[in-house]
Amino acid sequence: MASEQTSLLQGTLDMLILKSLSAAELHGLGIARRIEQITQGTFQVKPGSLFPALYRMEEEGWLTSTWGESENNRRAKYYRLTKAGHRQLETETERWGRIALAIARALEAS
Amino acid sequence: MPIFSRIASIFRSLSQRKENEQELDQEVSSYLDLLTQEKIAQGLDPEEARRRARIELGGVDQVKEQVRQVRAGAFLETLLQDMRYGFRMLRRNPGFTAMVVLTLALGIGANTAIFSVVYGVLLRPLPYRDGQQLVVMKQEAAAAHVSNIPFSVKEILDYRSYNHTLQDVVEYHSMVFLLLGEDWAERVQTAVVSANFFDVLGVKPLLGRTFIASDESPNADAVLVLAYEYWQSHLGGDPNIVGKVFQMNNRPHTVIGVLPQIPQYPATNDVYMPTSQCPFRASPDMRDMRDHRMMAAFGRLKPGVPLQTAQADLSAVAHQLEATYPESYPKAYGFGIGVQSLQEELTHQARPTLLILLGAAGFVLLIACANVANLLLARLLKRERELAVRSALGATRARLARQLLTETILLALAGGAVGLMLAPPALQLLVKFAGRFTTRAAEVRIDGPVLLFTVVVSVLSGILFGLAPVFSSGRQVSDALKQSSGQTTTSRGRHRLRAALVIGQIAISFTLLIGAGLMIRSFLRLERVDPGFKPDHLLTLRISPSFTRYATPAQSLALSKNVLSRMSTVSGLESAALAGNFPFNPGGIVGGPGSNTFQIEGRLVAKGDLEPIVDTTSVSSSYFETIRQPLLRGRTFTDHDDGDTLKVAVINQSLAGHRWANEDALGKRISFDEGKTWITIVGVVGDAREYGFDHPPGDEVYIPVFQSGGGVGHLIVRSAADPTSFATVIRAALHEIDPQLAVDQVETIERLQADSVASPRVTTMLLGLFAALAVLISASGIAGVMALSISQRTHELGIRMALGQTKESILRMVVGQGLSLAVTGTVLGIVAAAALARLLSTLLFATSPTDIMTFAAVSLLFLSVATVSCFVPALNVTNIDPFTAVRQE
Repeated sequence: MASEQTSLLQGTLDMLILKSLSAAELHGLGIARRIEQITQGTFQVKPGSLFPALYRMEEEGWLTSTWGESENNRRAKYYRLTKAGHRQLETETERWGRIALAIARALEAS
Repeated sequence: MPIFSRIASIFRSLSQRKENEQELDQEVSSYLDLLTQEKIAQGLDPEEARRRARIELGGVDQVKEQVRQVRAGAFLETLLQDMRYGFRMLRRNPGFTAMVVLTLALGIGANTAIFSVVYGVLLRPLPYRDGQQLVVMKQEAAAAHVSNIPFSVKEILDYRSYNHTLQDVVEYHSMVFLLLGEDWAERVQTAVVSANFFDVLGVKPLLGRTFIASDESPNADAVLVLAYEYWQSHLGGDPNIVGKVFQMNNRPHTVIGVLPQIPQYPATNDVYMPTSQCPFRASPDMRDMRDHRMMAAFGRLKPGVPLQTAQADLSAVAHQLEATYPESYPKAYGFGIGVQSLQEELTHQARPTLLILLGAAGFVLLIACANVANLLLARLLKRERELAVRSALGATRARLARQLLTETILLALAGGAVGLMLAPPALQLLVKFAGRFTTRAAEVRIDGPVLLFTVVVSVLSGILFGLAPVFSSGRQVSDALKQSSGQTTTSRGRHRLRAALVIGQIAISFTLLIGAGLMIRSFLRLERVDPGFKPDHLLTLRISPSFTRYATPAQSLALSKNVLSRMSTVSGLESAALAGNFPFNPGGIVGGPGSNTFQIEGRLVAKGDLEPIVDTTSVSSSYFETIRQPLLRGRTFTDHDDGDTLKVAVINQSLAGHRWANEDALGKRISFDEGKTWITIVGVVGDAREYGFDHPPGDEVYIPVFQSGGGVGHLIVRSAADPTSFATVIRAALHEIDPQLAVDQVETIERLQADSVASPRVTTMLLGLFAALAVLISASGIAGVMALSISQRTHELGIRMALGQTKESILRMVVGQGLSLAVTGTVLGIVAAAALARLLSTLLFATSPTDIMTFAAVSLLFLSVATVSCFVPALNVTNIDPFTAVRQE
């Protein structure tokens, strides 16, 4: 696990997890697949990055989790956004929008 | 996230560690399960699906380890885990642990003890209010090489009025008076001080009050302030002491206050009185004569004034005085004034010794660390596979390093804790030792800053000796795993590291051993100095008659004659004498020789020029015979040399050589009162070390006690048997003459002589002890490295033997390799010692810091120790059976 890549991706990964959970609660594999789907395969999240992020975000109070049954009757841990999580998603989205805009402008300039 | 909820989650994750761990386990396996299901749904057969899922997951344990690392409190949790693991490892190797803890305890204990002295004496702020503002003033006569001329009352008043940089100036001197209670008389060391003394020091009384300005006026009632220690030990700590009245110098003195328990400056006194009460200080002579100098002076800087500014200011005052009173400050003497901070004044004598000891203790700890690092490196060989397995299970290098460091710091802290237990007994000895240099020794104790020092030193040494194994544990995991159990090969780098550690140890211990060797040589020289008399079988007692009972010289003279004739009736005494001072008298050693100016008949000294200076001692006729100071020419005194006959003197050889080098001193006349009375020299005696072994004999004039006012001072007796057995008899005999004679300081001169060299002796002993420790630790270090390298080379050595190399030649080769480390270390040590020994030069007596003999002897001793410690483990070589050794692989 190269630490440079992690730190680069950390903010992005958090935002993607929050986004993937904004519509419905999901288990770990569900989150990974959902992110793959909404980014059209650009981001493939490995368990080695996903689980640390989930535990960290749960400790931050953005996510809560419950054990439940999966679609094919397997026990799985489901994650859901808390109020704080929703707020965080808004903040992150807004911040990302600003950054994206700024970078786009910067690249257009010259 | 708010701080409290963060803390809460740290606690949660720590307290629910087990549940968390279980949940993580379940979640990861559920993920794996779901992933497998997904692959099966895509059409893979279950076996293949499970395999691909596991590859995609990337290792269950690695994932779990990554989660653990981000969790709140992960740091603490890892720490706790590491500590638990560390404790387990240390418990499992009790021999190793005990060895390491003991080595470190010696090093850390020694450092703690020495540091508490250094802190208490050199670093702790003075126990007075804004102690850094306090300064000591000293008059100097640069041309006469005198730097501590006392002040006269007039001078103190002038410095107080004319300076611009001091808040105030304090006057101080100390005398012994008799304090009379209802039915007892006691000598009390009395500080005679200006009324502002306690205010300038910033000392508040424990009971009652201290002095106010009106106490110092000539007609004020006499008052006393008691020191805490005197109040406790002599007056039973009486809480109603304030207001009690004692007789002193024929006047009633009322106690007005008691001081708190503080270290006293400039000296430890029993009681304090204002200047107006001291009969000597209050005499018109003392008050009005600018040349009657007997006081000490110190002051307090105005806030923000640096010492240099005060020095310049006071020097200006000194110049002004010199210009105004040329009679009192002859040009030839080069009068001036010096200002020094009180802290510096109190500690400058102790500093070199203490810093050298601290440095030596630090060296011992460094050697101990190097040894422990070597032990750890050796043990790491056995743990290589364990570390490899942990690394394969997802532990990063940093994580392993942390684990190893936690273990070593645990070891170091255990060493520190044991060391802390060793420190207090050592400290008792050290405080007594430091007391010889500075009154601040009483402030030495193990307290917060010292404990902090111990903890910091322990942790730092843990890191220091922990770094070696950490840096060398960077080997490839797969290599370690592939190796067959038990047999590991050492990387070249690690072997070189161990060799470097041993060389460093040897170099440092060699340096320490040189230091100790120089001190021992210097001490032997000091002890071998001829004192100039026979100190055995001599007992001395100080006798203090009441000033009021023996007010006139005639009365004192009668008492002296009485005492001497009474002594001649005590059976078992060979002879008895009275003297104002005698060799190795502790009071004399502290005060140093007197500097009385005198004139020689027929050799006029121009006014203002330097006059010859000499130390004078008044002695009774039997003195030289009693202490066996040899008469070289002429005669000693007789009982007829008294007030009615010719004034006579005996001089020592040194004075005779200085002033009458080419003529006979006998019959020559000298005068101490500018020619009013002339004293004829009747004898020359050998030089005695009046002021200690390290003080070369100066010019000395002995005056018969019956011609110098008849004072009694010290009684010295020589007995055939053990002199201490006569103390009681003599005391009783003296009290038969006068029950109010105060008799104290009963000591044998042999004992005083030993005391006078106690501080070099203890310094020598401590340095010797440190050096011995260092050599012991290093020797075990060499032996350890040798043993390890031989056990690792068994296979190679077996092959050598099988190919026909003889055991002797293998032994020679192995020992030679060990010795090459020792020689390299010794050479480095010689270089380091030659550079560092200069620091010792202030402590050495008649010994050069690069004394060839010492260097040669120490090198020889050191190399023999190194050879032995190489040889003992090397002998194992001869037990190697080539066939077993070769098959071992």
